[in-house]
Amino acid sequence: MDRRTAIRNLALVLSSAAILPACTKDNPTAHFKHFDVTGDQEALIADLAETIIPKTTTPGAKDLNLDKFVWLMLDDCTKKEDQQAFFKGMDKFNDLTKKMYSKSFADCSKTEKAAILATFEKKPGAKPTGRNPSGKKDDKPEKKDELQAFYGTVKGLTVFGYTQSQYFMTKEIVYELVPGRYNAHFPVKNNMKA
Amino acid sequence: MANLNIDSAKERTFDAIVIGSGISGGWAAKELTDKGLKVLMLERGRDVKHIKDYPTTNMYPWEFKHRGVLPMAVQEANPIVNRCYAFGESAAHFFVKDNEHPYVQTKPFDWIRGYQVGGKSLLWARQTQRWSEFDFEGPARDGFAVDWPIRYQDIAPWYSHVEKFAGISGNKDGIAELPDGEFLPAFPLNAVEEYFRKHVKVNYQNRHVISARCAHLSKPNQIHLDQGRAQCQERTICERGCPFGGYFSSNASTIPWALKSGNLTIRPFSVVESIIYDEKKGKASGVRIVDTNTKKTEEFYSRIIFVNAAALNTNLILLNSKSHRFPNGLGNDSGVLGKFVAFHNYSAHIGAEVEGFEEWATDGRNPAGGGYIPRFRNVYKQETDFLRGYACGFSAYRGFKHSYDGFGEDFKAGLASKEYGPWRVGSHMMGETIPKETNFVKLDDSKKDAWGVPLLDISVDYDDNDEKMKKDYIEQLTEMFTSAGFKNIQPSTNHQAPGLDIHEMGGVRMGKDPKTSMLNKWNQLHACTNVFVTDGASMTSTSCQNPSLTYMALTARAVDHAVSESKKGNV
Repeated sequence: MDRRTAIRNLALVLSSAAILPACTKDNPTAHFKHFDVTGDQEALIADLAETIIPKTTTPGAKDLNLDKFVWLMLDDCTKKEDQQAFFKGMDKFNDLTKKMYSKSFADCSKTEKAAILATFEKKPGAKPTGRNPSGKKDDKPEKKDELQAFYGTVKGLTVFGYTQSQYFMTKEIVYELVPGRYNAHFPVKNNMKA
Repeated sequence: MANLNIDSAKERTFDAIVIGSGISGGWAAKELTDKGLKVLMLERGRDVKHIKDYPTTNMYPWEFKHRGVLPMAVQEANPIVNRCYAFGESAAHFFVKDNEHPYVQTKPFDWIRGYQVGGKSLLWARQTQRWSEFDFEGPARDGFAVDWPIRYQDIAPWYSHVEKFAGISGNKDGIAELPDGEFLPAFPLNAVEEYFRKHVKVNYQNRHVISARCAHLSKPNQIHLDQGRAQCQERTICERGCPFGGYFSSNASTIPWALKSGNLTIRPFSVVESIIYDEKKGKASGVRIVDTNTKKTEEFYSRIIFVNAAALNTNLILLNSKSHRFPNGLGNDSGVLGKFVAFHNYSAHIGAEVEGFEEWATDGRNPAGGGYIPRFRNVYKQETDFLRGYACGFSAYRGFKHSYDGFGEDFKAGLASKEYGPWRVGSHMMGETIPKETNFVKLDDSKKDAWGVPLLDISVDYDDNDEKMKKDYIEQLTEMFTSAGFKNIQPSTNHQAPGLDIHEMGGVRMGKDPKTSMLNKWNQLHACTNVFVTDGASMTSTSCQNPSLTYMALTARAVDHAVSESKKGNV
């Protein structure tokens, strides 16, 4: 292990240590730079991320720690007002699940969870905060209502984290750091799903 | 204050001093040391050594903590530089942060800077086109600015000289308004770019789509291997610094070459306060710097001085070089120093969808970025109601069909789909702007930076000519895209401030007449002939081609003149 890798791994351990101990349900269990999070809130994001990117024959959101990535990005790379809107949206999300199924999202069945998420998908899709997955800077992010913004942020960051994860970029697609290549005329023999 | 100990003064005396280590400063150092001169290169920022100081160059995307996105605290603290497309987690360390180096914006100006050895040559977009006779004739023909004191034939051999060493990929396209150079193989156009090239060739007179010319070693020659550089690996993460030297930068090319001669001394952490003018000798005798670590002033001496601090900082240094002889800045008898600043208009884009070409895609990444449409407006004659014209970027791309709608198993599988979506095309304008006296920079003596140097006050803006040109770009490209059969054509304009194009030029312009210009045809100050300015500050007009290659050629040409005149005792 070279020095850079060692330092990086140490940094990862330190940063994840801050959000690991999820002991009780209602007391703040994870302390971030800009906010504290309860165990329920942590569980909600993990469940939401897993519903968006579920474990199949390949790793899902929880396996890939995408929920932790959502929290990291929300803490570090999101404007204060958007963080505040996120938590308001989260409360509204909890209200919505209560209204629909009289229970928390965590207690919903897979089908119920899907039905809840489907209500959001009728509206415009999600973008991660700051940069969308294509890497462009968002000059003026769309103004959405807090509930929709909450879902959009979770979905956007989950997808961003997934498509930029080591798993995805080594197993699902192959990102080649070096050498790269450029074939300007790449024949598409059979434009079917791989 | 300066230490006047004689031995120390001798140690601080060089044959030549180069202020700045970016694209043009690197060339000044290389050419001067090649000719045997002992050279001191002053750089206000830190040292950046090739390969060793590229901390992110071998990182995978997932190794960046925020996957490339900068923390909001950094973004919010840097609203200006944050607008630059390359200011992200992988390259932020090569950009000047807003609060560290303030300036005054009398009019909004996004001043993007790189203060380190290598300067912005680590960060540039590497497009390299020669300027043509139409560009050097422009001001005289169209009646703006002042006549360039040189013509294309004066600089053509120097373009060849720098192209061979830097390594420029391109095709010989035989276009008068975009002269051919000494090229390495071009990066090929893809199927849709090639289609559009043919379509334009058949349907439009004097319009061309070519493979973009770029400073990448597509196939290195011996001279490039001798520099310690290797073939471009088509990684397209150039802004992190390239360990292969695959693209041209001062760090990979001119600076190590100059160091190998044993004639170059680099002094980083040296903010140039002013150039010292010797009234008795009637020329400049050296440079006064502030060491950014010790905050102490020091002086260095030489008989030749090259100012390559990047356009606006070169203006600042000259404006701040005041003496009894030059109370308004070094060489500023005419009063034009700091004036006639211009830039490039990059504020319009157009995109469209393409039907067909389903049998083709691309694989990998194109370092050249695709195609280039040389200027076609007002080239042979004035044919519109605006002056000059614009070049266009043009590229086609095809990605996989990834839907961001939905969630769950199918959605997840879809994110890894290898099914190709439709082709899309895109273009952006690169317009020439007209240098005007009302676009200027000056010193704000009431505000000083951390080293006691007055802040630069920038007053540069667009005008009606730019608006008309922008409108014409949208109209012409819409028409060309329509005739090519592209669908869902979507033009867009923005109001980005000048500066974000990172092609600011002028203020120390070349010209025939000392009454209306600062520099003669050899880039020498008319009134102080041992000081040479060969960066963007020296540009009389801006053309619409990218300017860096011209800075390189002008620099090599000026060094040749400086050394030969020095030998004759004239400098």
